Amino acid sequence: MGRTTARWFPRHTQFMLLLSLTFDHSPRPGQPSRMLWMAGCVIVAGLCGCASHVNRVVSIRNNFYAGHLEEARAQAQDMRDKHKADRDVFDLDRAMIELCAGHPKESERILRRVRDDFDLYEQKSAKEFAASLLTDDTKIAYEGEDHEKILVRTFLAISNLMHDGGDAEAYALQIGEKQQELAEKHLKKLEENTPDGEPAPEAPELPQVALGPYVRAMLSEESSLDTNEVVRAREMVVSYVPEFRDGARDLERAVGDTACAPDHGIIYLFTMVGRGPIKEESNDVPTQVSLLIADQIISAVGEQTLPPTIAPVKVAKVVQPPNRINSVSASIDGDQMGTTATLVDVGKLAEAHYYSRYHEVLAMAVARRTIKKAAVYLAKEKVQAQSNPFADFALTVGGIAWEASEAADTRGWSLLPEKIQVLRMEVPVGTRTLKLQAADSQGPFGAPEIVSIEVQEQRNTYVLANLPDDHVVGQVLVSSQYTE
Amino acid sequence: MFRRRFLIQTAVMPAIAAVMTACGCRGKQVAHVLKEDDGDMVGSHTAGAETWKPLIEESVGKLLARQCPDIHPVSMSNDDGPAKKRVCFMGVENKSAEELGDSREQIYDLIDTLISESEQFQLVSKRYVDAGLKECDLRPDELFVPANQRMFGSAMEKMEQPINYLLFAKVTSLSTHSNGDSQRDYQLVLELVDTETGDYDKESATIRKGYHKSRLSKFKHY
Repeated sequence: MGRTTARWFPRHTQFMLLLSLTFDHSPRPGQPSRMLWMAGCVIVAGLCGCASHVNRVVSIRNNFYAGHLEEARAQAQDMRDKHKADRDVFDLDRAMIELCAGHPKESERILRRVRDDFDLYEQKSAKEFAASLLTDDTKIAYEGEDHEKILVRTFLAISNLMHDGGDAEAYALQIGEKQQELAEKHLKKLEENTPDGEPAPEAPELPQVALGPYVRAMLSEESSLDTNEVVRAREMVVSYVPEFRDGARDLERAVGDTACAPDHGIIYLFTMVGRGPIKEESNDVPTQVSLLIADQIISAVGEQTLPPTIAPVKVAKVVQPPNRINSVSASIDGDQMGTTATLVDVGKLAEAHYYSRYHEVLAMAVARRTIKKAAVYLAKEKVQAQSNPFADFALTVGGIAWEASEAADTRGWSLLPEKIQVLRMEVPVGTRTLKLQAADSQGPFGAPEIVSIEVQEQRNTYVLANLPDDHVVGQVLVSSQYTE
Repeated sequence: MFRRRFLIQTAVMPAIAAVMTACGCRGKQVAHVLKEDDGDMVGSHTAGAETWKPLIEESVGKLLARQCPDIHPVSMSNDDGPAKKRVCFMGVENKSAEELGDSREQIYDLIDTLISESEQFQLVSKRYVDAGLKECDLRPDELFVPANQRMFGSAMEKMEQPINYLLFAKVTSLSTHSNGDSQRDYQLVLELVDTETGDYDKESATIRKGYHKSRLSKFKHY
């Protein structure tokens, strides 16, 4: 298993420290290689990265979870301005901050742009690929992990529901489209990475996000125009997430003739529960599949095959932190309505998608290491290092530093919840008081949050709350109360 | 020699490629005002002006053309000609796989403008429509129920905005995917409902668009 590495200094500082400790800078007459390694230092230092993404967002996460949205917003904006190449990944966090701060329209606008950028970055850039082989994966424009591409559309649907709802169905369809596209792409890659003559391994079962059909069912049920569509969508939810507690009950209602009772309306409570997955840096031993893929990468840039290596390489790993909160308990006017049920397990989704392409991540790291080693050997041959111990030493240390400067690509959506949960409540029309409270296996805990909701006859009202632990972060959004 | 060639191929070539490409300049954003005869830009990922404008022009044109002989005004408003039929445009419903976003208002306004320019119809202001719906606590899709329609009609009359027709616009799409490329057929459907008789007229227009990852893949399909 991999080991998580701690880092106290920025990467380039580590490197310069190492150099200053290693080399004697006093001028030596007739030392032609000095300029060479100094130039090398400049190049390598220029190629080195700084603190990894996961370290950059620590403060944003802390402020966000503490409910200090203004500070989190300012920090995310600041980071976005500082690291323009990674603006999309900071924008994902900004979108979450805006959503929780009660600005779903702004959140939707940001997410829409990120979605389009991610689609664009799916096309590989030769320039970025070459740069990443010399440095690390952070030089490649961040196209988003597969689960993030699906979740961007998921949160677009949620954001739209909270302010207008006119495009929620379109976003719901986009979730399904993207899932299908990614599954096809995954299958194609598996076939490509299988040696000739061998049967392609079966694609792993990836969790399906059921929020798309859930939203479509919800909207169709409200309009009462197409009952077949409601049944189809509810069936889809059950087939995507069989463990969804309310799936069977929803389907039963759709099949039967049990529409919303007269003088009643529906409240759909969406909750973002727990702190979601993040990426951490880790050292891992290359797997056989990853070596095979790395071999293909090396073969693509030269005619040689990959020398065998089992030394650990730096990679990012998706980690789901433990959460106490299980669900959210809801009561209306003092009457207990139940707890929210998991519709999208973001943590499991992120892990499943990431580890389905983990061999590729490892393969890139192995290929990069091979190329860096090859570059150092080439430089040694050029300066005839075998007869120049100083140059040999300098290049060896430089090579080590070059490899050490490599950072795992920990970029990712850091403010995701662990789960997206829902609860459908049929309540009498009028002004109702909704009380929300975090719950674990023992029952409700933490600070309750109370909101007033105007329930309209035969209408849906959407409520969104974010509870990363024992309290609501930001505002509880109510669709019917949204004003620009 | 063999080793050297390996080293050159694996290390130096990507390095040269990286340095050469990194030396390029970052693009600087520019803008320009389009002339009357300049064509609309074609959206590379979603439908834009190039899709919606012709769809609106075609569907509205067809609808107005078909309505023209059927209009038999019962009263004369003044000596200038027949009274215009008052149409209540209920908005654009999105049933496509693409969000309309800020295009929704533009689509609404384009339809509104084209219909208002016609000799037969006069549109009721959107603000009155919104106020009427709010007062009756109705959504546009609920107006197909006769009782709701009557309630809405009387609410509009109270505001001195009587209506003769309800106009509904719906956007739909049909997507076809093929190895990373896709074709999307966009359809705009206009439905004109006579509030007195319940008769309705329907017109639609379709535009097909191909989306490709590269020019080469476009060439492969077309």
